[in-house]
Amino acid sequence: MAKTKIEEINRNIYDIKNKDEYDYKIKKGLTKEIIEEISNQKNDPDWMRNFRLKALEVYNKLELPTWGPDISELNMDEIATYVRPKTKLNSSWDEVPDDIKQTFDKLGIPEAEKTSLAGVGAQYDSEVVYHSMKQELIKQGVIYTDMETAIKQYSDLVKEHFMKCVPVTDHKFVALHGAVWSGGSFVYVPKGVKVDIPLQSYFRLNSPESGQFEHTLIIVDEGASLHFIEGCSAPKYNKVNLHAGCVELYVKDNAYLRYSTIENWSKNMLNLNTKKAIVGKNAQVDWVTGSFGSKISMLYPMSILNGEGAKTEYTGISFAGKGQNLDNGFKVVHNNKNTSSVVNAKSISKNGGKCTYRSQVKINENAQNSKSTVSCESLMLDDISISDTIPVNDIRTDEVEFSHEAKIGKLSDKTIFYLMSRGLTEEDAKAMIVRGFAYPISKELPVEYAVEMNNLINLELEGAIG
Amino acid sequence: MESLKLNETPVRTSRNFNINNIKLENIEIPKNVPEFSNIEIIGKKINIDNTKTETKLKYGLSEKLTNQVNANSNQNMQIKIESKTNQETQINFNFDNQNNTLIENLKITAEENSKATLIIKYEEKEAKKSYHNGIINILALKESNLNIILINLLNTNSNNFLTIQNTIEENAKINYTIIDFGGKNSITNYYADLKGQNSENTINTIYLGKENQLFDINYIANLKGEKSKINIEVQGALKDNSKKHFKGTIDFKKGCKKAEGNENESCILLSDTAKSISLPMLLCSEEEVEGNHSCSSGKLEQKQLFYIMSRGFTPKQAMKLMVRARFNKIIENIKNEEIKNTIINEIDKRLD
Repeated sequence: MAKTKIEEINRNIYDIKNKDEYDYKIKKGLTKEIIEEISNQKNDPDWMRNFRLKALEVYNKLELPTWGPDISELNMDEIATYVRPKTKLNSSWDEVPDDIKQTFDKLGIPEAEKTSLAGVGAQYDSEVVYHSMKQELIKQGVIYTDMETAIKQYSDLVKEHFMKCVPVTDHKFVALHGAVWSGGSFVYVPKGVKVDIPLQSYFRLNSPESGQFEHTLIIVDEGASLHFIEGCSAPKYNKVNLHAGCVELYVKDNAYLRYSTIENWSKNMLNLNTKKAIVGKNAQVDWVTGSFGSKISMLYPMSILNGEGAKTEYTGISFAGKGQNLDNGFKVVHNNKNTSSVVNAKSISKNGGKCTYRSQVKINENAQNSKSTVSCESLMLDDISISDTIPVNDIRTDEVEFSHEAKIGKLSDKTIFYLMSRGLTEEDAKAMIVRGFAYPISKELPVEYAVEMNNLINLELEGAIG
Repeated sequence: MESLKLNETPVRTSRNFNINNIKLENIEIPKNVPEFSNIEIIGKKINIDNTKTETKLKYGLSEKLTNQVNANSNQNMQIKIESKTNQETQINFNFDNQNNTLIENLKITAEENSKATLIIKYEEKEAKKSYHNGIINILALKESNLNIILINLLNTNSNNFLTIQNTIEENAKINYTIIDFGGKNSITNYYADLKGQNSENTINTIYLGKENQLFDINYIANLKGEKSKINIEVQGALKDNSKKHFKGTIDFKKGCKKAEGNENESCILLSDTAKSISLPMLLCSEEEVEGNHSCSSGKLEQKQLFYIMSRGFTPKQAMKLMVRARFNKIIENIKNEEIKNTIINEIDKRLD
């Protein structure tokens, strides 16, 4: 079968570039003076200023990872770590400057807010430009605001949790994040409050040769529940951009949190993000992740099941095309009795893209009667792409049920033939199989986002199979 | 006494996962290598040349241990398999107080269209503590068919280091049955280069850990030939404070169209202080292939144990029966009844 020539796809709305206009852009590089200047610009309290400087010391001591994709092209001397857009934080879209508002309009954020979200936060470069939440949630005591406001208004709560779940010593890019972080969202759901409609934060990086380092801190108190969605995108530039965000989730006893991500960074982005959740007694955190963008991604969300009966599920898909190296996966540590984890990871590689599933399941000595099931499937759409599976399973108690399975393969000729015999063209048959492959992930998303994900899959598949 | 860093995986993962290599402390590496002469060769006579040769390895346990074999081996065998019918030869390396250090370099060439079964047994009968560092390097030429049975019955004070390298040509086949029971530290590095079209490699391994034994098993298979095939089946049980690292890599190289790779690893944990770490890797640079891996860990099924005990067996007898049942599929590959009984008795003894 002759293959269709594969063209660079049109990423239409995601690639719209605004003029690189800003209120303030810090000079490129990473020095003590630059960190102090970020602190000045952000009017940090003293504890945060000191925290940033200590994180910089840790960053300078830690080595780059000796595994995974080659990130040697990242030169921090060429990256501006703080870019303040030409607007303040707004609570009405009408107050947001036109060019920024139009970007979010095209991404469908204000429309989604009206129809299917309980609250929205929108970050443009290093600062949050819009934040709003429905009145009834405010009345119930739910807090959803930008991190800068949270540090000032809820300082004790933030101080108690900020970078305690993800300490700056975890790895080099977490230390970098600790030093230069800016923007992001803070959510607190009080005891027993169920937030039925999702909250969403959207992160847009417009400025070239810069980085985005937003910090998301979510505390779901005892018996409460929340669905939080994050979306991210950026237009493509010729030089690398860096994303080193950090997500810390505290899911207290009997609470529930679903954290969904549709990541569609531009293909010059190094996405070195860190996400971790601490899960209490009989609580549950579910991760749903669709990873489409970035030049290089190293992202391994982690659940630490500290409470008895704590649960976690990870459902993720990565889609790597030309020039992309997506090294994604999941980590879970079972630290108590009767905990359980379910992992369902999928990846699709095409046009010379590389997908790696990298994971760790650790069941500690005190996690008797725990269960873990891991399943990963990889689909190769051509013979120039790469797909690797690198899972580590560390089992330290006998009272456990653990199983892992993985498959790598291509589209089944028999299935394509069958679908074609029912009247589909070969391309439609193949696209249908790929959408079916991704279905277990898209069905976990709210319908609007499932549609967005399917559109992204269609966009990625355009001209890629044949 | 030395510190050793051994058995690197072909692709690294996070250092925090403690699986990229194994570090051993206080290992006594013999500087002066005494003779090792307690060797028995049973069965069909084969052509053995004892000339010393140098072996070049793609991976190996470490440069230091490879150099030790190349420079200081006390047993060298170049074996040529020429028979066209499957005949069995057994080589026993018997460790005792006079023969407690074996550094061997085995080179086996299976000529085109040849067939053979080779049993290599490392057994400790008297020695209190032994040292074994060996390389087995096999070249299977076109259409050859080899059955290799490796049996490690060293005691739990010894150090067992073994490197196995295979080159498999067109339509050639190597079947391995590996019984890995002995050694305080038993570290195995296995590499198969499936370069020929339709080349095939099967590895069936059982390991059994007790006391403070440590097993570090690193299997790497590169599939290069079209329709090449690898099957890895590893079954193990760990009691007391024993620990196992299993690292299995199936690497589908570009051009190995219609290749197949399957890997299954299963570990029974017989105590709450035993530890099992596994890293079953699938690396794939070719589209038209099929790769599967699975692994599982857990204790024996309690309902089945209870059922067996209800038929009059003690808990220990029931446990032994169930472990043996798990291993049986692999033991049944061994046609030599005497060897089979030796292994069954050894399982019984080590599970006591």
